[in-house]
Amino acid sequence: MKGKRTAVLAGVVATLGALAFVQESDTPQESLDTAVEMAVVEPDPLAQPIAFPHDIHAGDFGMDCQYCHFSAERSVDAGIPPVATCQGCHLVVQGRNNPEEVAKVRDYAQRQEAIPWVRIYKVSDHVRFPHMRHVAPDESGEPRVQCQECHGPVQEMAVIEAVNQPLSMGWCVQCHVEREVSRDCAVCHY
Amino acid sequence: MSGGIQRRDFLRVVGASGAGATMFGCSTENVEKLIPYVVPPEEITPGVATWYASVCGECPAGCGTWVRTREGRAVKIEGNPGHPVSGGALCARGHSALQGLYNPDRLAGPMMRNGDGFVPVSWEDAEAQLVDRLGAAGGNVLLVTGSDGGALGHLFDRFTEVTGGTRVEYEALSEAPLRAAARIAFGRDVVPAYDFEAARFVLSFGADFLETWLSPTAYGRGFARTSAIDQMGSKGRFVFLAPRLSLTGQNADEWFPIRAGSEAAVALAMAAVIAGEGADAGGYAELLAGFDLDAAANSAGLSTEEIADLARRFVAEGPGLALGPGVSGQHRGATGANLAVLVLNHVAGNIGRSVHLASPDQAAASSPYASLESAMGSMRAGEVAVALVHGANPAYSLPPAAGFADAFGAVPFKVSFASALDETAHLADLVLPDTHPLESWGDSHPRPGVHAVQQPVMRPVPLFDARATGDVLLSAANALGQNLGAGDFQGYVRARWQEMGLAGEDDFDGFWREALRRGVVFSATDEPEDAAELLSPDPAVGFDVPSLDGDQDGLALVVYPSSRFGDGRQANRSWMQELPDPVSKITWHSWLELHPATAQRHGLREGDIVRVGSPHGQVELPVWPYAGVREDVAAIAMGTGHTGYGRYADGNGVNPMVLLPAESEQASGGMVHLATRVAVEPTGEWRKLASIHGSGHTQEDRNIAPAVALADIGHAEEEHAEHDLYELQEVGGFVPVPADGEPGDFPLPGAQHGEYDPETTPRWAMAIDLDKCTGCSACVTACQAENNVPVVQEEQLLMGRDIQWMRIENYFETVDASHAGPVDVRFTPMLCQHCGNAPCEPVCPVFAAYHTPDGLNAQVYNRCVGTRYCANNCPYKVRVFNWYEYSDVPEPLNWQYNPDVTVRGEGVMEKCTFCVQRIREVENQSVLEGRAIADGEVVTACQQSCPAEAIVFGNIRDPNSRVAQVTANERSYRVLDDLINTQPAVTYQRKVTFHEPAAAGH
Repeated sequence: MKGKRTAVLAGVVATLGALAFVQESDTPQESLDTAVEMAVVEPDPLAQPIAFPHDIHAGDFGMDCQYCHFSAERSVDAGIPPVATCQGCHLVVQGRNNPEEVAKVRDYAQRQEAIPWVRIYKVSDHVRFPHMRHVAPDESGEPRVQCQECHGPVQEMAVIEAVNQPLSMGWCVQCHVEREVSRDCAVCHY
Repeated sequence: MSGGIQRRDFLRVVGASGAGATMFGCSTENVEKLIPYVVPPEEITPGVATWYASVCGECPAGCGTWVRTREGRAVKIEGNPGHPVSGGALCARGHSALQGLYNPDRLAGPMMRNGDGFVPVSWEDAEAQLVDRLGAAGGNVLLVTGSDGGALGHLFDRFTEVTGGTRVEYEALSEAPLRAAARIAFGRDVVPAYDFEAARFVLSFGADFLETWLSPTAYGRGFARTSAIDQMGSKGRFVFLAPRLSLTGQNADEWFPIRAGSEAAVALAMAAVIAGEGADAGGYAELLAGFDLDAAANSAGLSTEEIADLARRFVAEGPGLALGPGVSGQHRGATGANLAVLVLNHVAGNIGRSVHLASPDQAAASSPYASLESAMGSMRAGEVAVALVHGANPAYSLPPAAGFADAFGAVPFKVSFASALDETAHLADLVLPDTHPLESWGDSHPRPGVHAVQQPVMRPVPLFDARATGDVLLSAANALGQNLGAGDFQGYVRARWQEMGLAGEDDFDGFWREALRRGVVFSATDEPEDAAELLSPDPAVGFDVPSLDGDQDGLALVVYPSSRFGDGRQANRSWMQELPDPVSKITWHSWLELHPATAQRHGLREGDIVRVGSPHGQVELPVWPYAGVREDVAAIAMGTGHTGYGRYADGNGVNPMVLLPAESEQASGGMVHLATRVAVEPTGEWRKLASIHGSGHTQEDRNIAPAVALADIGHAEEEHAEHDLYELQEVGGFVPVPADGEPGDFPLPGAQHGEYDPETTPRWAMAIDLDKCTGCSACVTACQAENNVPVVQEEQLLMGRDIQWMRIENYFETVDASHAGPVDVRFTPMLCQHCGNAPCEPVCPVFAAYHTPDGLNAQVYNRCVGTRYCANNCPYKVRVFNWYEYSDVPEPLNWQYNPDVTVRGEGVMEKCTFCVQRIREVENQSVLEGRAIADGEVVTACQQSCPAEAIVFGNIRDPNSRVAQVTANERSYRVLDDLINTQPAVTYQRKVTFHEPAAAGH
């Protein structure tokens, strides 16, 4: 706890709130579990359990981000797709390029187990970032902010990574200034 | 994040003892995992709350609740606005149910006795053992349960039927004498329902209806509506007659400090006066005609004229409502006292008007102590082979003189269904932990025609392998070859509802879904509301002042139910231990209330530890001198002094039940609580009281809570002391505005710098009506639950490190036990005032305290470095500091934390945020829907919880908002504003008194 305490004012729970992709279970009552595991993983801490190619899904197939990240328009959390969402296609789609990776998805589904994705994007625990305020369409019907503006050209990434996105306060505020939206502290920090 | 250590980071690290390395943003040192659902539950969107309707299980009143869940865990309980009992509000104990759900002392699974201790056992083995023992018991089964009028109670009855046993209902706070009195007076074996809103003159003979009596949340709402000043400038009156001024009594306009046990005499004397002027007295005409008023007045310590005057006003200022003595007044003549009060209600014409027998309070019905007394006889006689205990803790709540432990010990096989070990479970052979009400199915029928479903709001907390007692009993009955009609308790509840025919002609499945969604359904009640006939008196029930045990020179001992712990069942919750008692403002430990004159006579000061002895036992506890008890009375709250209930309860305070005899009242069989006199002797020890009240319950001429006489309403003088402060403008200060000004008078701080646009930005503001506030403290715990406010425990509190964001100051202006007269206690809920000209802001060296464009005084936790300058400069003492890592609580108490609110770490200043997370949530929603925020859409946690509807919140810049309209009231003032020009966003509306207040408003 000590290392965490130094930097993270918000404790475990704020983390839960920021994340909230919790479930390993399949009924509404069974929706409890720890959201975050903190562990030091060697050698490549950012290796995903399945080599999920964003470029094929979002790029080649042109799938909408929100097909998988389903709650971005209506929640503070963008949503990590349930295994059932993957299975929606991969029940029949074998995967031409990486059938062995697709098979892993099926294994998870068969074991009724959640896929432990490694988290790439995370704002600090003391920041509230409501996805829906940024992603939901404005009066013209366009998203206020394109996903790529913060997450980079995900549709071109074979391996998801944070490119030139410091997720720092200055970076957020710069955009808020350009767009003439609130720069008040208590909009994000409370 | 790259770029080395920043200045603020550095300060922060130093503040945290220099441990560890700094880590911000997207560090890759620690890898977090994102764990998605395998199959997503339909009703859950991550990050969005899901609400379930249910029923509160903390007391028998049966308030309907809405439970807020996030990602499948319950985080907050609120009242269900559609439920007629809660009406949207919830008391402090109701909020604390979450700490029952996540209580770290809950059992991990079933336990079996092994010598002096317990060993874990599997559910299969435990249930098999239960079935074996039940099968071999030959019908000698005793089931002791709490009061339950729903499907569970029905199942208990069926279960005892098929096992050939007996069921005994036991509630430590029982209204048996009231029920017996209703039976004798009107031939109706019911607890009447009381309609406060129909009354203009409320008379309570000690019933603590704002704290624990029958249905405190519903009565709190009704009482506030009738007793607070209305639009027409009229106000109901409340007179309290009891030896001790409880929180309920502190809300009275007049206090008649009558001698303990003299309620019947006073009530009958009043009835005699009213009957003497021609009112119908039914079967009591003869008794009242010959009633000796002088003797009655003498026994109460009043004058005959005072009683006669009160009686005449009770009728003239009516409709009236008289309430009998509550649990603390249950003496050896309790039925007579309740009966006398019902007679008074009858002669004053209140039956059918404010007192309803045809639609009684079903929730309060439970069998009297005498039935448990006889069951203990059977246990001692070896007539019980298996004893099952559910929802009751007699080993704690009965006086030791009752010998429950011995009687229970004589039973060969004892089973407890307690979810955490309590004193009774410690004596059991097998403990089968029940699920918490928030995890279980059930129902309640608090009034005729009102049916509420208690549905589980989450999967049972996986750390605890608990099973619903309903399920256990059904499967046990099944194993014994008895089919009770359903495989599990959920099916049983459904079947009961189907049987009751509530769905009418409709499809039951559709009806059931709608019932779950709303939480409550109504059915027509066919019983007509008619005035009941007053039967002839029962010669067996007397009205004499009861005898008290002990030395006649001793002090009459009043043992009263705690508004924080009830009978003690909420004691193992840190929120309730830390909630300041609404009267004494003491936390965590017990205290003895003595009149200051009595204390002086004994040579005692505040905090002196005394030995209190009765013929039945003795306890040691510190003295808190309180002018609200008679000089011949000593008072102690129930609910403390546990010995085997859990980490937060054990060892805190004393259990006053050890001072009482184990005796049931003759007429009703109810437990006698007012029974003994005690001797008080100093031990020579002293302790500091863990009280949050810094100024001895006085205002010290600071005029924090001014009042206004009813007669002065409408022609208040136009005087604003703020005028003196206008010169501040010359040095760049703000323009003082009158507290009752127009919305436009509230300048938006920062507007003068051109930073904030006053046209489009709201200014959030709050109004608190002190004429409504009853001091019940529901808001304090609501705030604690909503805002992750930690618990600091007794040692820290003794150092003045209390951390609650909301506290209720109570100033005793007029509290005089020497004679009947006005009582004036001012309650002031004190929270961050969100000053427009805030003293805390300019002193912060790191700009952590600052003003937002929408009028909030914000505290940016990640900026705060803990200098505490802001707290030192706050005139309202509402900024609190995390001296330690208070938020590290034992698992799974942390599951309750609200994910929308930051959990603060050590070294950070915090305070009320006006529930900024709720404001942001509404803002987000309104933007998505492309509309403006409606007035009343943002509801703070304290406002939501308030049974008295005293708190209004909204945008004061909108002249049509409720908060703007309430603020424009002539009773409005802002605390200390005339002295220091802080321009708070919180305005208070002065309390209204019938008498000329001692410290008149400024």
